[in-house]
Amino acid sequence: MFQIYLPIAEISVNLLVMLGLGAAVGFLSGMFGVGGGFLLTPLLMLSGIPPAIAVATGANQIVGTSVSGTLAQWRRGNVDLRMGFVLIVGGVVGAVIGVFLLKFLRQLGQAGLMISLTYVAFLGVIGALMLWESVNAIRRARAGKTVSSRRSGQHNWIHGLPFKMRFPRSRLYISAIPPLVIGAMVGLLASFLGVGGGFIMVPALIYLLRMPTNIVIGTSIFQIIFITAIVTLLHATLNFTLDIVLAVLLVIGGVIGGQFGVRAGQRLRGEQLRALLALMVLGVAIRILFDLVLRPSELFSIVPLAGV
Amino acid sequence: MMRTAAIRLTALLLALSMTCVLSATLALAQKKPQPPEEPAGQEQVQSDVSTRDIAIQSNFTGIEILIFGSVDFSDSRTPGEGTYDVIAVVRGPDEPIILRKKERVAGIWVNGPGRTYSTVPGFYAVLSTRPVRAIASDKTLKELGIGLSDLDFGRYTQGDPQEQAYRSAMIRLNEQKKLFQDRDSAVKFIGRSLFRATVALPVNVPIGRYTVDVYLFRDGAVASKSQSSLEVNKAGLEQLVYALAFKHPFIYGLIGVFIAVLAGLAGWFAFRRAS
Repeated sequence: MFQIYLPIAEISVNLLVMLGLGAAVGFLSGMFGVGGGFLLTPLLMLSGIPPAIAVATGANQIVGTSVSGTLAQWRRGNVDLRMGFVLIVGGVVGAVIGVFLLKFLRQLGQAGLMISLTYVAFLGVIGALMLWESVNAIRRARAGKTVSSRRSGQHNWIHGLPFKMRFPRSRLYISAIPPLVIGAMVGLLASFLGVGGGFIMVPALIYLLRMPTNIVIGTSIFQIIFITAIVTLLHATLNFTLDIVLAVLLVIGGVIGGQFGVRAGQRLRGEQLRALLALMVLGVAIRILFDLVLRPSELFSIVPLAGV
Repeated sequence: MMRTAAIRLTALLLALSMTCVLSATLALAQKKPQPPEEPAGQEQVQSDVSTRDIAIQSNFTGIEILIFGSVDFSDSRTPGEGTYDVIAVVRGPDEPIILRKKERVAGIWVNGPGRTYSTVPGFYAVLSTRPVRAIASDKTLKELGIGLSDLDFGRYTQGDPQEQAYRSAMIRLNEQKKLFQDRDSAVKFIGRSLFRATVALPVNVPIGRYTVDVYLFRDGAVASKSQSSLEVNKAGLEQLVYALAFKHPFIYGLIGVFIAVLAGLAGWFAFRRAS
């Protein structure tokens, strides 16, 4: 009962499990302004979906949850359109490079390993940094000092770069180069890891560009729509790995979960939100690291030659 | 036996009449053509499958098919006396695969260089009345390509000590996925000549044309063989999605994105009204 056959993945999955998976990831996505792909892709692989199909279909799901997430954020005035477009321009370039890189690594048979290593490195470092920062912020708040994540008077090397642009919504006047580079890096990771890239984008915008946290979340989820849409298209066209039936199930669950996530996120303070996100990011990193280090129960694996 | 007896009786009558009336015999012989001569013990096997077209639709969770057949001119007098053995080989379309083994490099498990096998059947099941090695000699089985150990996977390497380990690993992986099956005593005789066997195609069966070879063995040699086939295809929405994904991947991708955007919008509007 409730079993449904997936035409591209060529397996039968439980309808309710996939809807629930989409909802859970959508909830987190709405809450933290991250796409949730860094959780969705590994979870899909654990449920038996082939890795390549998990990556492409995960990206497609994130398109849907990001649309409803963005609309919810938009209503609260949290989207910096100008910053979003600069990030997207960089992101498209990165996404194209990433899809080709993945195709090349898959031919070598090392795609799974490189994906896992990249996950561990990025999730580990970013999770640790965020946890450190947010715990300190919570401590300072407990001690009764005023917390300000925004230190507007502070200048660093980023402010010395040319091509300065005004971003009124974020109250920033900075060079277009850092957002372009951040966009490209995130786009590369998005297509390579099958994630939205929010877990990199959010801390990068907060700590490097010093954008306000609420605007960061809205803008990040806004640009994720476009990056994941392009990644979905590229994977569908170049690798034939998109399973629309699975994507529809995940999207339906995702948009419902996403709406509850946004509401839940409003009740939490910025630094608490960041600490929770950091813990989750670290948890996923440790899980993947274990899989790499522990002796696998099955050493052999079969890959169809045509699917490479 | 009834038939052979009848043939003999006709022959006897013919001989009698021949001695009696010569002219009448000639006319009689022309009017009554002799039944085709059947040498004693020349049994024939006929077989077919219960489902010739398997359609994979959204509710597909695998399917069990029935292979049935009969032995014509069976010499067997009682069921289960063991005169005959039947081996049925169900084989799906061949496809090339890469088999990789993980090795430990600097503390982490890394895929080693893969080995390519060019003709691995996407599905392979051997069903038999008894263990196949008890039915016929290894040489006979090898010639017929029956049994997983004698299967040709399209890789010829001599003196590679690792080859056997890789080969058996691939068979093990496919057996876990129920894509390779080796089932002794899956074929059952019903009465003197009728036999049946069921084979379960798992949910992940590859699409394409499958052949079902049924061999009738007597005293360790093939007495007769019969072949039937079945077709596994995606149908309905599954067929549509599959065809679109591989023939017009860009449009397919666009549809995927479009559905996601629509769902996102719909979800937001629904919840905005609710709150």
